[in-house]
Amino acid sequence: MKSGRLLLALSIISRVGVVTILCALALLTHYHNLKSAYNHPRLVELSSGKTARFAYEYTDKFLSLFGEPEVEARKSGGMTWSIRLAGVPFTDPVAALSVLAKNHRWELGFALGLIIPLSLAFIFGRVFCSYICPASLLFFTISRIRKLLSPIFYFPDLKMNRGFSWGILAGGLVMAVYFSHGIWIFILPYFAVGQTIYAGIASGTLSVALGSLILFSALDLFLGKQFTCRYVCPTGRLLGFIGRKSPITIQRDASTCLDSCQSCIDVCPMKVQPKYDESIDCSICGECLTVCPPQCLSIGLRKKPTSTQT
Amino acid sequence: MVLPLIEKLPLVAQVKLRRFLRPPGAQKEALFLQNCIACGQCANVCPNQCIDLYGIEAGLENLGTPRITARAQACILCMACTQVCPTDALEKLEPTKEGKRAVQMGIAVLSEDLCYSFAGRTCGVCYRACPLPGEAMTIGLFEQPHVHAEHCIGCGLCEQACIKMPQAIRIIPRLELEETEATKAESS
Repeated sequence: MKSGRLLLALSIISRVGVVTILCALALLTHYHNLKSAYNHPRLVELSSGKTARFAYEYTDKFLSLFGEPEVEARKSGGMTWSIRLAGVPFTDPVAALSVLAKNHRWELGFALGLIIPLSLAFIFGRVFCSYICPASLLFFTISRIRKLLSPIFYFPDLKMNRGFSWGILAGGLVMAVYFSHGIWIFILPYFAVGQTIYAGIASGTLSVALGSLILFSALDLFLGKQFTCRYVCPTGRLLGFIGRKSPITIQRDASTCLDSCQSCIDVCPMKVQPKYDESIDCSICGECLTVCPPQCLSIGLRKKPTSTQT
Repeated sequence: MVLPLIEKLPLVAQVKLRRFLRPPGAQKEALFLQNCIACGQCANVCPNQCIDLYGIEAGLENLGTPRITARAQACILCMACTQVCPTDALEKLEPTKEGKRAVQMGIAVLSEDLCYSFAGRTCGVCYRACPLPGEAMTIGLFEQPHVHAEHCIGCGLCEQACIKMPQAIRIIPRLELEETEATKAESS
């Protein structure tokens, strides 16, 4: 129970951290601009005592801890789709697929950026969804709102085939080849969040991606708990597929598990069934650990498959 | 009844928004769109804040891709965006004279009937803004500018600097040049 709460808290903290990083990267645009303009004495004079100037000066001090501030600042940038943090590139697997489908080749740095996301998926499974994805923080909040309002309103829980998001992945790839890679802004919730944050902070405009974000939120509110994560998001499905045999996953102690208890199945946002030793699509969010009455669930190394599973 | 509605949807660009430039180092438009994944890193790193991202107004094919409005804020050719592009949609260039010469964003075209210098009032602002003075642009009597199309890289600094409203010098974006070339090749 305690470890479940810990994981849940960790997932919320890390996702809030990711949103903060996205905001900071968008603000970095203004930093670059001030940096190139700061030599102008009149600008310095005008900006004294303003919040922007304080932010600028503290960013400058922070970056100069690592080296030349201008060079260091250029090492980070981008959105969740393709991001560089301190010079390390991260590439979305869907972006890589999209480029492969349209262009039939990868840039070296782009392909190297796949290493960290893919190895995370191989080791931990769908851990991106509950620890990194900024959109899932929104959907997590909406699922809590559903829970709060459930005594007053009726919220349906639609059950669909998981193949739906494979279809969206295929459809998105076709659209990307026909139009351009930009259409993923509408399809991927976390890209929509990144685009909205960037457009809002760096350009001061409302992004069209906000529309799809509102649509996804409505789907989540009215069709099912974390509906978008389960049936719409192609990245989640892809990462779940990659990590279906991940060594670290949810474990059940069959000797203490209660026969009639269904609480882990009811609470799981990804509709995984830990009770039946199903771990595909598990994002290690820790929700089932908090509700399991005999505490028979734990996160650990995957056991060898027993002979009964064939 | 439905078809006109579908045509109204901004799936394909209704109005060709051709006054926008691509960032420096961009390849031909078709190749650029193949490579650009709309990650926004070029816009993020631009110290001049001249790059912004397309919304839906220019169709789905341009969604999220970078653009430069030269009259509002022209590219200063610092080449920061070419260094960070993850997919090689923007070729890597250095902020040197050679790097600047490799840029092809468009070609500046002067309207002599609008230009102050051609009306006998000495101006020469565009020449002073040009990153390749003497090569891409030379000045004659009364500081009358002459654009040399074979050397002009289309950064748009002259268009931004022009004191005439509307501007006497404009950049024809590379996309438009490619299209006119294609139509010329078809007709001949």
